[in-house]
Amino acid sequence: MAEELLNTNTPEVVEHKKDKRHMGLTASRTISNTVIYFILVIMTVVWLVPFIFLVLQSFRVESTGMVGYIIPEQWGFNNYVNLFTNTKFPKWFMNTFIIALATAALQTIIVLCMSYTLSRLRFGGRKFLMNFMLVLGMFPGMLTMIILYRVLADLHMTQQNSIPGLILVYAASSGMGYYVSKGFFDTLPKSLDEAARVDGANRAQVLLKVILPLSKPIVIYTLLTAFMGPWGDFAFASYIAFNNSNGMNVAVGLNSLISTPASIGKNYTMFCAGGVVVAIPITVLFLFLQKYYVEGVTGGAVKG
Amino acid sequence: MAQVKLTNVKKIYQGNVVAVHDFNLDIQDKEFIVFVGPSGCGKSTTLRMVAGLEEISEGTVEIDGEVVNDLQPKDRHISMVFQNYALYPHLTVFENMAFPLRLLRPKMSNKEIYDRVTSAAEVLGITEYLTRKPKALSGGQRQRVAIGRAMVKDCKVFLMDEPLSNLDAKLRNQMRAEIILLRKRINTTFIYVTHDQTEAMTLGDRIVIMKDGYIMQVGTPTEVFDEPANLFVAQFIGAPMMNTVKCQLIKEGKKYFVNPYGVKLEVDGEKAQILADNGVETRDIILGFRPEHVDIVKENGIPVSVLVNEMMGSEIHLHVLTSDNAKLIVRVPTVRLTKEEREGLTAGKELQISFPGKVMHFFDPETEKSLLVKE
Amino acid sequence: MKKYSSLEYLRLTKIQRFFYKIACFFVGIPQFFKKIGLAIVKFAKKFGIGVKDEFKDLVMTFVNGDYKTRISYAIMGFGSFTRKQYGRGILFFLFEAIFIVYMALAGGYWISMLPSLGKIGPHQEYDPIWDVWVPAYGDNSFKILLYSVLTIFFIVAFIYTWRLNIKQNRISEEIIGSMPKRCLEKEKKQKIVELKKNNPDLSTEELSQKTKEIEDEYNQKIEEVPSKPLKSTKDDVMSLIDNEFHKTLLALPVTGILIFTVMPIIFMILVAFTNYSGQANGYTNHLFHWVGMDNFNTVLVWSNSGGASFSATFGEVLAWTLMWAFFATFSNYFLGMIVAMIINKKGIKLKKWWRTVLVLTIAIPQFISLLYVNKMFSYTGVINGVITNLGGTPVHFMDDYAEPWVSRLTVILVNIWIGIPYLMLIATGILMNIPADLYESAQIDGANVFQQYMKITLPYMLFVTGPYLLTSFTGNMNNFNVIFLLTGGAPTMINTPPNAASVGSTDLLITWLFKITTTAGSKYYLASVIGILVFLVVAIISIIVYNIIPSNKNEEDFQ
Repeated sequence: MAEELLNTNTPEVVEHKKDKRHMGLTASRTISNTVIYFILVIMTVVWLVPFIFLVLQSFRVESTGMVGYIIPEQWGFNNYVNLFTNTKFPKWFMNTFIIALATAALQTIIVLCMSYTLSRLRFGGRKFLMNFMLVLGMFPGMLTMIILYRVLADLHMTQQNSIPGLILVYAASSGMGYYVSKGFFDTLPKSLDEAARVDGANRAQVLLKVILPLSKPIVIYTLLTAFMGPWGDFAFASYIAFNNSNGMNVAVGLNSLISTPASIGKNYTMFCAGGVVVAIPITVLFLFLQKYYVEGVTGGAVKG
Repeated sequence: MAQVKLTNVKKIYQGNVVAVHDFNLDIQDKEFIVFVGPSGCGKSTTLRMVAGLEEISEGTVEIDGEVVNDLQPKDRHISMVFQNYALYPHLTVFENMAFPLRLLRPKMSNKEIYDRVTSAAEVLGITEYLTRKPKALSGGQRQRVAIGRAMVKDCKVFLMDEPLSNLDAKLRNQMRAEIILLRKRINTTFIYVTHDQTEAMTLGDRIVIMKDGYIMQVGTPTEVFDEPANLFVAQFIGAPMMNTVKCQLIKEGKKYFVNPYGVKLEVDGEKAQILADNGVETRDIILGFRPEHVDIVKENGIPVSVLVNEMMGSEIHLHVLTSDNAKLIVRVPTVRLTKEEREGLTAGKELQISFPGKVMHFFDPETEKSLLVKE
Repeated sequence: MKKYSSLEYLRLTKIQRFFYKIACFFVGIPQFFKKIGLAIVKFAKKFGIGVKDEFKDLVMTFVNGDYKTRISYAIMGFGSFTRKQYGRGILFFLFEAIFIVYMALAGGYWISMLPSLGKIGPHQEYDPIWDVWVPAYGDNSFKILLYSVLTIFFIVAFIYTWRLNIKQNRISEEIIGSMPKRCLEKEKKQKIVELKKNNPDLSTEELSQKTKEIEDEYNQKIEEVPSKPLKSTKDDVMSLIDNEFHKTLLALPVTGILIFTVMPIIFMILVAFTNYSGQANGYTNHLFHWVGMDNFNTVLVWSNSGGASFSATFGEVLAWTLMWAFFATFSNYFLGMIVAMIINKKGIKLKKWWRTVLVLTIAIPQFISLLYVNKMFSYTGVINGVITNLGGTPVHFMDDYAEPWVSRLTVILVNIWIGIPYLMLIATGILMNIPADLYESAQIDGANVFQQYMKITLPYMLFVTGPYLLTSFTGNMNNFNVIFLLTGGAPTMINTPPNAASVGSTDLLITWLFKITTTAGSKYYLASVIGILVFLVVAIISIIVYNIIPSNKNEEDFQ
């Protein structure tokens, strides 16, 4: 991000107000900055503390339930060992990983096809298609679960076989989420397409040779969000897995560890350990690709 | 190398906005045609219809005798230079220029591609930038790359859409000269779009002047300058703009006179002959005369007072005010003036101006058509 | 009401302007509905004309077509095939064949069962070998409804393809020129007949003279009809990667949406008019039936029978859903903007660090943070641990013993914790795009920080993010994860009807819908009704907001 730009553009304290005139430039700025630093430190604490707690609890050995203190009295890897040996966590993790990979690939292809078409090509029914998807998007997605579950069950794609079922559910309708990447394509100059077409490219070559090489940011953004989605999804995953512990993803699986008061006492620290194991790879991936994510999110909000 | 023929070409956008009305034009083989006009006059739209980037609502476009309405741009054998250059940012200059060649079927050999690109780069003087990305180039260099990309391919028609308008004034003059040289080298049919009348005048074999989707006049630079078909062309071509005065055209026997601000001036014999041939009687007209044809006279001139004095170096543009507060412009070459005379032309100075009968233009106040068009 | 011109408006004071705007809004409401009404009428008219034109074209193509075209009315693709467009011809023919086979074998049956949704329920059947009664499955209402929907999809697709096939024939004949020629021939004959009829007193010589004139004229015209070759199958395939490229690209996404979104939504809309539930699934249990508007009556019409009414519960949940969406959206929006601004402030160091801390929380999957925060706020959790250590009494934040408003407030606060990082990111990006000279000129004009914010930053943000706010609002209405993982709807509402699936005070319509379908009895029909109502609410809000917000701009402006 261009820091210089940020600095110049943000509203700054104006130093010519009467009461501040005597304080001098540095003094007034120091005071306001001190207040801001104070706020920022508090915010950092508020935002990070739950995650620090999570990590600390995951290393607690002396009891496995919920306790009213934070620093463990005994440290150890017992919870992690238990998680990997006594629960189906490895299975859940692999389930989610496979689903996430497949969804990322499929969804990216679908979203790019849709958004490129709507942004760059003009054809009869384009406006209708866009309005139609807008209206469809107003229906709660949850509603479709009931029937999709029954249909997928008939195709044996639920419960222990939930992986293909969930991939289908996540990826199939993803074309409706074309807004962010259409916004991106809209910003690429149209004359590039035109130049390529005059130079002898057909539409497919325009896409493959000119537009795609320029679309790295949006491809990575789409891949990233599509990959992260399945890790956090609860509703659809629990519906499709339908209490079958072999078909759960990490969210549903870990939730099942602590879903009753009795199980909380037994599995709480293990849940924390699971949370840490899931969070670390995702966070690392995210931090590497942060730039693209930020670009996508900002662009998406501006383009609506 | 081909003729281009546009017959009754129309462009109608959604909501019945007509961008181009009945456009008819025959472009000869190897001719350099310039479309010129103010923004929104339909010149770019027309060019893009030739290129196949806009659908043709009505009429036909023929290239080399073949109707191309339904052909994709890639099948029309054209090259085009865009206003914003449209270089592919992810490719090097070499690959940018090789792009059209790599798409050819049957495939062109790598060696041939290399030869063509390097020789084009040499012509344009961009050999040393071939390995750079467009981002690392200046505006003028990008412009050359864009031209280079268009010229490596053998094309029937070479299209240019305001190629110089993103350059600064100095570079623009330089590139304009280079385009003239380039044209001799490429030797194909050119269609060039610009809003700048100087470019149009210097580059074009023929100029098509457009306004609001209509062709106002087609002709060689000399024709459109000397014999503008209507008031719009008269004022659009030439800088500063042609002066206009509402007055009367008086026919006395075989002679014609005009009376701007009560000063009776005789129309030159040749022009009078045309007026007579057209059967023009005494009537109201709009009289036009170019600033460079105005003389400052001692007597029998139109009395004016100086408003602004623009010293351009080789000449002075005097903005003067007439008795009814209309503004006229007078171009005075500095060569002929003494220092005192030059410094005397300050605001408020009273002058008398006049102009010879052979530079006058006469327009119908209603239709704005020239009365000098031979019928 | 007097309408001010824009210049008169400028003369008003601030307060006058405010009231004027309010008045305008209310005056504009009938206008707004009129506009919508007119749009509907216009659409209906256009639609009617469209249908009429289609039929006219169908008839005219048959009348003017050659035998190939006419046979194509019955055997799809015949015309294309005989005109050597083999690819098209085969595809059309295959489609028709599949359709006929499907309709004969299955489709007809499903459609015929649609009105009743099945006649034979699950029952006992006598097994003569073992001499016992064994349970047997009856008609499967669910499948009947599902396959009927699919069959209707298929029929619509077939009609469309059939129409396309005929249009293709017409276009082909126009390209090769056979149809225009035939039309001219007919016109010629008609002209001659008319000539004879209208001029009975003409002599035979004159008549043949005139007839010949007409014939020559038309023969000339027929000569001139252009004839071009048709596209070959190879051309068709090539055009799929060029001028028909959108078809190639859209095939996969649109199919996915049709099967996984459109079809289920249509199905669920139909379910709202049945009594489909876990107890009446038509296969292992009772059949289900059409019940008309009964379910809508249950949810919407106020009934006072037996204390708790479903409609009252629905009203309460809807009210909370809207409240939640409002607070969740705007609290995040403004706080996120403020955070972005203070991090961006000149002179603040470690900008990257502060931002990364916040962004980090986006990376961690939501279910972990939500479930963890849920446990933190539980009665025996860390927060209450801290409170007791400080000498306070533990609070029920969001369990079943919590006060409804405590629980709701906690949810909104936690949601701020979740949402601020996103909004910070978005706001940072937009703030960067505000031209710096706007602030510089405001400073020179003497605006202080607050005035700059109110006059530049906020209007700009609102203008740019108007559509985002709308989607964010509707997104929050359907924010399943936050509510479900955080509170699970708790605390449970008291005094709710038995079929309301123990709905809670923090339940949104969407989580309620989920609960209804997953708890015992699975009242799918109620879930459908709620889903449809959610759609209506979202649609109405969207229409109103889209007509108000200024950034409802032309999408082409961006290009």
